Parts: sequence; structure tokens; C-alpha cells
Amino acid sequence: MNLKRKITNYGIAFLIILSLNFLLPRLMPGTPLTAIYGEEVLVQMTPEFKASLIKRFALDEPLYKQFIFYIFSLFRGDLGYSYYQSGSVFQIILAHLPWTFLLVGFSLILSTIGGIILGIESGWRRGKITDKAILTGMMTLSGFPSFFMGIMLLLFFAVNLGLFPLQGARTPYADIYGIWLVLDVVKHFILPLAALVLVEVSGCYLLTRNTMIMTLRKSFILTAKAKGLPDKKVRYRHAGRNSLLPVVTRTGIKLGTAVTGALFIEIIFSYPGVGNLIYSSLLMRDYPVLQGTLLMVAIFVLAANFFVDLIYKKLDPRVQNAY
Amino acid sequence: MLKIKDLRVSYGKLKVLKGVNLEIKEGECLGVIGESGTGKTTLALSIMRLVDEDSSASLEGEIFFQEKNLMEMDEEMIRKIRWNSISIVFQNKEDALNPVHTILDQVKEPIMENGGESKKEATEKAIHLLSQVGLASRCIKAYPHQLSEGEKQRSLLAMALANDPEVLILDEPVSSLDTTSKADMITKIKRLSRGYSVLVVTHDISTVAKLTDRVAVLYGGRIVELASTPLLLSNPRHPYTRGLLRSYPNMTTTKDLQGMKGRMQPVEKGCPFYPRCTQVVDVCKRKNPELQKIGERFLACHRGGILPFLKVKNLTKYFDSFRAVDSVCLTLYEGETLGLVGESGAGKTTLAKSIMGLFHSEGEIYLEGEKVGERDKKFYKTVQMIFQNPRESLSHRLNVLEAVREPLDIYKIGSFRQRSQKVEQTLTEVELPSDEEFLDRYPHHLSGGEIQRVVIARALVLDPKLLIADEPTSFLDASIQAKIVRLLLNLQEKRGLGLLFITHDIALARKVSDRLVVMLKGKIVEEGPTPQILSSPSHPYTRNLLRVAPTLT
Repeated sequence: MNLKRKITNYGIAFLIILSLNFLLPRLMPGTPLTAIYGEEVLVQMTPEFKASLIKRFALDEPLYKQFIFYIFSLFRGDLGYSYYQSGSVFQIILAHLPWTFLLVGFSLILSTIGGIILGIESGWRRGKITDKAILTGMMTLSGFPSFFMGIMLLLFFAVNLGLFPLQGARTPYADIYGIWLVLDVVKHFILPLAALVLVEVSGCYLLTRNTMIMTLRKSFILTAKAKGLPDKKVRYRHAGRNSLLPVVTRTGIKLGTAVTGALFIEIIFSYPGVGNLIYSSLLMRDYPVLQGTLLMVAIFVLAANFFVDLIYKKLDPRVQNAY
Repeated sequence: MLKIKDLRVSYGKLKVLKGVNLEIKEGECLGVIGESGTGKTTLALSIMRLVDEDSSASLEGEIFFQEKNLMEMDEEMIRKIRWNSISIVFQNKEDALNPVHTILDQVKEPIMENGGESKKEATEKAIHLLSQVGLASRCIKAYPHQLSEGEKQRSLLAMALANDPEVLILDEPVSSLDTTSKADMITKIKRLSRGYSVLVVTHDISTVAKLTDRVAVLYGGRIVELASTPLLLSNPRHPYTRGLLRSYPNMTTTKDLQGMKGRMQPVEKGCPFYPRCTQVVDVCKRKNPELQKIGERFLACHRGGILPFLKVKNLTKYFDSFRAVDSVCLTLYEGETLGLVGESGAGKTTLAKSIMGLFHSEGEIYLEGEKVGERDKKFYKTVQMIFQNPRESLSHRLNVLEAVREPLDIYKIGSFRQRSQKVEQTLTEVELPSDEEFLDRYPHHLSGGEIQRVVIARALVLDPKLLIADEPTSFLDASIQAKIVRLLLNLQEKRGLGLLFITHDIALARKVSDRLVVMLKGKIVEEGPTPQILSSPSHPYTRNLLRVAPTLT
């Protein structure tokens, strides 16, 4: 039953987001075109171009037809047209997305795994010197804002030591292929990745450590120890496994906002991801791109939630009956 | 098999176990009973060295398992002992089973970890064990939250047997179950634990009665009594054991439920039970009694267990040539009710009056171990009597205040004010008003129930330790009788008052007596613990008494 109902729920949420995205520019004062493209742009437009835009968005039709039209164009992958970048919004986003996925994906995986392992080990040794050291370190890290961390790394490793490139995702105009291209990309993304991981890991660590400490008080831990299991199995199979749930929730939420999560880092390292795109669009008031990104983010949040729900069932059998 | 020597465990400043000595012999089932907070679970966990897990815990003493001292082993050696040699069935509370793994996986886990079997063999063995404890096959691959309490407890039992340990510890194995599942579980444990050396830790006395060969009573971190199970349960000698049995509802004993005075509190010095004990002497507060062998049992009590308070030996009373009481021997213990049952003319009242010294008689009487000659003031301060007819036993010229105060006047106890206060206090104790108006009343102003209470108050005002109550309720309505009986039992609980309860009504005696004495024609024809006499009376007269006793059908 659950899967069907769940998909329906997600469908409804998705529709609401679509409608909002459709309605917002049309609810703004002035004509929708002004809302979409801004005053200055319209002044510079030729009447022909304006007419073609009106036709494109079906702005001369009644609202419901506009909506149907909007949905259809969405399914065709038409998110609108960026006047500033003179290209389709969909194409623009698509060009930035892989870089963000690369950066955020890796940082999320690394920071989550690292946070979980450190959290489990630290919680297991609660109060011991190792725990205190890790805890202090993590608390310090969690105090740094991501842009600060980025700047520090950039200054030290790229400017002072010159070990890594200063900006971008790859060397511009370099004529390299295959393994060299991969190495070039890796070299470019190590610093932003390190900055992100360092900032993100503490949250995951603190949460895991906390849940771990709560889990260690449960009686099944005593059962596991009484069974003569080696420490490692008690720690991971029994305590760790049961401490995972909140971490999964947190990672799920992170996954949803991942597209925008690296905003500061991307700007500092001039990394051509979605964060950078949002930043430049904001500066230019490139509304169609912003709107398209917004829709994209919403879809990711939904997808991530759905994914987390599915994982939950695997992790905790009790959730299946908990609706 | 397992020998515990002077085990002391404390958590921070809290001392939980204060020197426990125990031995579990091979193939034997030993029970440890006690209330929550006495350190039962700590004892169980100590044997597996699981209390170490609590960083505030400190362990001292020795635990020998097959001549090896578990306390000297390092973590790795202990880990190999756990489950392979000593395993434990935890109480199924909260999450004794891991909620995210299936039952099968959890039972299989120790087999694969320690037994060295392959995955397939381990699975087969686990399934075999689970079916042996009677778990339905649909439950085997289920998660703990999908099972009932009984099924979870059975899974825990199967899990404990996984690696064929030598010693099996059961920590409250049936406490979370309803009565039917409990009975079922006990049968399963009994069948499956055969051949193991078993330690059962529980507060449930009936579990101990059904499972164990010997039983130890734990109180305040010390063992206070240890004996074979039938002996301990039918004839407890430590005041705590008796209190525990008296407060345990069951189908065997018939006496009304009674508690113990006070509550459990940590004791720095002396016997752990002394704040609640009714036979305390000075030494109890100063020194902790050692567990000593007394006859068939081990007992830790400075006074040698519950005192034989009154001993009557060969008491004989002639009226001319008629032998009204014929060489009667009886013993009444501290804080106990001895029911003296028999028909009119059996010599019950004569016996009572002879004990009180109101009749001259032959034979010997011992009070607290000392032989009683002339009944002096000291004797009457300790032993008081309530006579059969309350109206006649009160002087009609004395009002309530004077009647109750009279013993104090005779003994010249306290000032006039203090005496009046004591009278008021005693009247309140027997649930009578103590205002001016009531104190001024004369016996003929009082109802039957009131007058009986006044008589009881007069008997109690000297704080006696033994009360001989001769048909104290035969003149009263049933509802008042119930209250008076309740009152006497409450006093017994609070002060350890011994009662020689004389009645012709075996149905009443059944509700108030720990032990019964049946008297016929001046002789004692039967004596024993009340449930035993009621369930298997040996004398035809007793059988007849039971046959004609009041019933509602």
C-alpha cells in the first residue's frame, strides 16, 4: 500500500511546487514579462522580440491555458530563455549541474562516512582522551563558516604553497584528454572539496556521537557484550547500526539542498557549479535562470526525501509499520 | 562449578554488593531472591564481568569458574568465557534484543562468532534451538518488534543456549510475562536447562519454588539466608525472608498479605535489615552478622533468626482429677501468629490462663529463652492478654481513660501528662477517638466493637511483645471482627507483635495464622504451618473441623 500512497503524496507536493513556480511571476505587479525579465530589459527589446516572447509563454491566453502550456514546455525541457546569457535556461543549468554534483556528491559521501566513523569511535570511547581530542577538534571546525575555511585553504595551499590551482574546475584552453583531463579536474576540485568536507563533517560527527551515546545505554548492547562479541562488532553491528537513523535523515536533507549548498565555496573558488550560477544570476537579476534553479532544487529535495524514506525501511524494520 | 567469594561491587559511592559468598554446584539450580534494588542483577552481571562496562563500577572479590578466577582474566579471556561457558538470559525489557536484526541473526551470531561453525551449520543450529523453545517458524525470521513478550523471552532463552554453556544465568526470566506464558516458560526452562548449572535471579518467589534446588535471599547487598528451596519457603528463619513470603500473593498461603515496616534504605554499619527488623538488639546496629551454618541452612542474623519467643514445655493443668491441659508443648516465634484452634472445652482458655500465671500449673515456660518462674511485673510488661468477654474484663467503675491508663499507673511509667499522652496515642492506634468526651465514657456507654478496642488498647499500652488473644472477636459482628483482626495484623507488621490467637473458628484462624495448633481434650493433636494443615490434615478431628468450617456454597 505504502509505495502507491507515497508516490501520490510526492506527486501532489510536486504539483504544488510547479503551480507556485508558475504563479509567482504572474502574481507580481505589472505584466508577467516585466516580472520575468525586468524593466530595463524590456526597454531594450524590439517589438518583434517582445511579441515572440509573449507567444512563447502564451501570455495572451487565459491562465489555465498558460498553465497547461507551461507544463508541456516543462516536459519538453523548456525552462525559459535567459536574455543575459542568450541561451535556454535548461541548457545553462545542465552545464553547471555536473560540477556541483561532482563537488557536493563527493563531499557529502566523504563527510558522512567520515562523520559516522569518527562519531561511532568517539562515542564508544566517551570521556576518554581520544574522544575528547576528536570532540574538541570537531567543535573548532564547526565554528568555521564555509567561506572562511575556503579562503584559508586557498591562501595556504594555492597562494602560499602553490600546490593547487587558484580557481576554476579545469585549466582553461588546455588541450588535454583522457587521464590527464581527469587529473586536471581532480587537482582543481581537491581544495573546494576539502573545505566542504571539513565544514560538513562536524555536523554529522556530532549527531552520530550523540546518538551513539544514547544507543550504548540500550540493553541490547549489554546483550551483545554478554554474547562475547568482539568490541568491533558490538560497536558497528549493534551500536553503530542503531545510531544511523538520524544521520540518514540529516544526510537526506543535505542531499536535497546540495545543489545550493556549496554556494560560498563555489564562488570563492570560482567553481562553475550551480551555486556560482545562482550568484551570477542574482547579480544580473536573471530571473528565468533563478526560477529554473529554484524548480530544480525543489525537485531534488523531493527526490532526496523519497530516497531517504526508502533507505529507512532497510535500516530500521520498525519503520515499515510506523505509518 | 562456580564459586563466588566475598564479592563487593559499588557504583561510585553506592555500595551494591557487600561481600557475597555463593557456590553453584554442577547441575544444580540455585535461586537468588530479593526485592528490586538489593543487587540481584548486579550479581548476575558481575559473574559475566559485565558490570565493568559501567565506568563508575568497582569490583572486588573472587569468582572462580572451574578453578579459574574470572576476576583476574583480561578482556580477551573473559570474552571467550562469555556465552561459551557462561551465558545469560536477560529479562525481556526495553530492548534486550536488537531491534534492527532478525531473531535468527541474533541467535546465530554467537554461534558463528565463538563456535567456529559455518554459516549453514550455525543457521541450522539456531533454527533448531528456536524450535526447541517453541517459537513458531513464522517468528524465526521476524524482527523483535513483531513478536509478543513471551516469544521474545523464548528467543532470549534460545540465544543463551546457542553455545552450549556450562553455566546458565537467568535474570528475571518470566517477570515480563502474563501468568499463562509464565507457566509455559517455566516448563520450557525446566526442560531445557537440565544438565546446566543454573543461577536464577528473580523477585518472583513462585519461579524460585518451581525451578530451583536451593535458594539464597539477598537483602541490602548481602545474603541473609540460604537453604534448600522447600525448607526456606515452608519455614523461613530470617525475618526478611518471612516478610518477603508474607507479602507475596500466592495460592498456597492463606494468611492476609502483610508487608514489612519501613522501606529499604542503605545501611552504613550493622545488619542491612536492622531498620526494618522488629527484634533488633544493640549489636545489630553495630556489626554486620556473618552468614553461618545453622542446622540445615545458612543464616546471617545476630539473633539466630526469628526468635522462639515463648516456649511451653509439658504444661499440664489438673482441676481436681480432671486433666484440662495435658502435657502441652508449643513454641511461638517473634512477630508470628500462632492460631490455637479447638472446640469449647478443649482447654484453650485454661492453657492461656496457665501461661499468664492465672492458674497454677505444672511444666515449664520459657520467655525469650529464659525460664519463667513467678510471673513478675517484667513478665506482664512483655506478655499481655485479651480476655474472651471484653465487657466483663473491664471494670464498670473506670472510665476509658482510667481503664487504659491503669497499667501505666501500676508500672509507674512516666509523669501523669506522659501517661495521658500515651493513652491517647494508644487509642488512636486502635482507631478509637481520644477526645475528652470519649475518655470520660464508661463501659456501659460503649458498643461491642468499641469496648473490644478499649480492651486491646489496655493490653497494648505497655508495648508488650506478645499478645494472647482469647477469642478476641467472638462477640463481634463480622464487619467489626474484620477490622479488629486487621488491626492486630497491622500491629504485628509494625512492631513484630507475637500473637497467640485462640479461636474455635478455623476459617478465621486460616486468615490470621502463620502456624496452627489444633487442640482436642487438653492435648495438641496437630501442629504445623497453616497451609500444610489446611491442605493435608492428618488428624481426623482436624479433618472434621475443616469439613464443618463455614463456606459460601
